[in-house]
Amino acid sequence: MANIKFTLNNKVVEVDLDPSMRLIDALRLHFKLTATKEGCGEGSCGACVVLMDGKGINSCLMPLANVNGHSIITLEEFKKTKQFKVLEECFADEGGSQCGFCTPGMIFAAQSLLASNAHPSEEEVREALSGNLCRCTGYQSIVNAILRAAKEGEGLW
Amino acid sequence: MVKYIPASKEDALNFLASHDAYIVAGGTDMMVLKRNAAGLLPKFDKDVLYISNLNELNKIYEDKEYIHIGATATLDEIYNHPLTPKLLKEAVGEVASINIRHFATLPGNIANASPAGDTIVIDYLLDAIVKLESKNGVRLVKAENFVLGVRKVDRRSDELITEIMFPRFSYDGDMWYKVGSRKADSISKVSVAGLYSITDGKISKFALAFGSTAVTVRRSHELEKEIEGLTQKELLDRCEEFVEKYSKIISPIDDQRSNKEYRLMVAKNITRKFIKQVGEGK
Ligand SMILES: Cc1cc2nc3c(=O)[nH]c(=O)nc-3n(C[C@H](O)[C@H](O)[C@H](O)COP(=O)(O)OP(=O)(O)OC[C@H]3O[C@@H](n4cnc5c(N)ncnc54)[C@H](O)[C@@H]3O)c2cc1C
Ligand code: FES
Ligand code: FES
Repeated sequence: MANIKFTLNNKVVEVDLDPSMRLIDALRLHFKLTATKEGCGEGSCGACVVLMDGKGINSCLMPLANVNGHSIITLEEFKKTKQFKVLEECFADEGGSQCGFCTPGMIFAAQSLLASNAHPSEEEVREALSGNLCRCTGYQSIVNAILRAAKEGEGLW
Repeated sequence: MVKYIPASKEDALNFLASHDAYIVAGGTDMMVLKRNAAGLLPKFDKDVLYISNLNELNKIYEDKEYIHIGATATLDEIYNHPLTPKLLKEAVGEVASINIRHFATLPGNIANASPAGDTIVIDYLLDAIVKLESKNGVRLVKAENFVLGVRKVDRRSDELITEIMFPRFSYDGDMWYKVGSRKADSISKVSVAGLYSITDGKISKFALAFGSTAVTVRRSHELEKEIEGLTQKELLDRCEEFVEKYSKIISPIDDQRSNKEYRLMVAKNITRKFIKQVGEGK
């Protein structure tokens, strides 16, 4: 069986897992990293989004074979960053998280956006969130939280 | 079952020569198609070749005749690349979501051959060429001839798409229209792309391609020839005639979805709009 080697939360890991295994299953079942959530399992809700090489990707559609050689960051690691602290506070202040199920994916959609565009317009934020569904908030508070994070975290991205 | 991560294009072609295998690029179609219950491996019933890490197929470059888009370039990379043809950029920017565009590919869209494949409409309109490579050499197939039906394409099992090639040419005006989206589970959708040129007061180039309205993308070279050579006024005067003629080639041939009439109406409206755009030279 092929050896899969990649960087997980800034540490190199080498595993003998089936290359066809979904990244989300490897994260939750093998590595016991359960911050990443599974909603639809087919790419349309964004609950499972993590960062691959700094960009948001759906871990429910990502086979381990394609992760080989890349860098994955999950919320367990991202929580330690300054960027997360700012996002966390802004989500809390704006009411951007209610049940919280969509939040890990939303945080990474936000991080992925801000990393490439530190001063997004409201429309750009909405576009960046278009692959992430939320059943609770009605989105406006999430959009506000991200716009506010861009301001309060000035210089971080 | 073998699940193979090739080290190079050559390695991948050798594998395909000796295995009847599925190819997975981004996996955004394949992982849905082969989906299993959470925690279980996807249901593949034969060998699988994973190509997304082949960096040698990641390039986007140009030569005198073509813009070449490598098979593992992601839709997001294509969207952001300065060489990407304008219409392709517009269509790519509306596929799925930004997260998915971070790993989905262009060959994946056309090889999946869904009637709703957005970039296939652009491949048809821009006369794109699918470059297929195998141990036996290279085969170039026009996109229009590559798609044979729903999920059916002209690819031998030992062949890998290594590039999509877009002929370089300029034109005066264009249009890209995507109605509805899959985002919030809405399936009803029509996509239309068009382009034209005017030379010495006459329409010298006219092309129109429709997605999602029939089993495959539709484009009519006959109608295009009929329109080319007309003056803009002649085209405007005959607008309804051509809308009707186009509606014949785009009518959904089976009622796979209940909104067949709706789609036809939308397609006709967009055709009319494009004819007016060409007629008024906008
Ligand atoms: C939630 C969601 C929304 C989507 N929305 C849209 C949308 O709005 N518009 C749209 O057009 N599509 C959409 N798609 C479909 C999909 O994202 C696209 O078709 C994408 O371009 C497929 O690329 P891929 O690399 O992921 O393909 P894969 O899943 O890896 O492959 C798809 C097919 O192409 C074949 N293939 C891939 N690469 C090669 C190659 N180099 N040589 C030979 N065969 C190859 C595979 O064998 C397979 O049959 C959506 C998908 C999801 C999950
Ligand atoms: S669980 Fe991956 S997108 Fe819904
Ligand atoms: S907070 Fe409940 S789904 Fe978004």
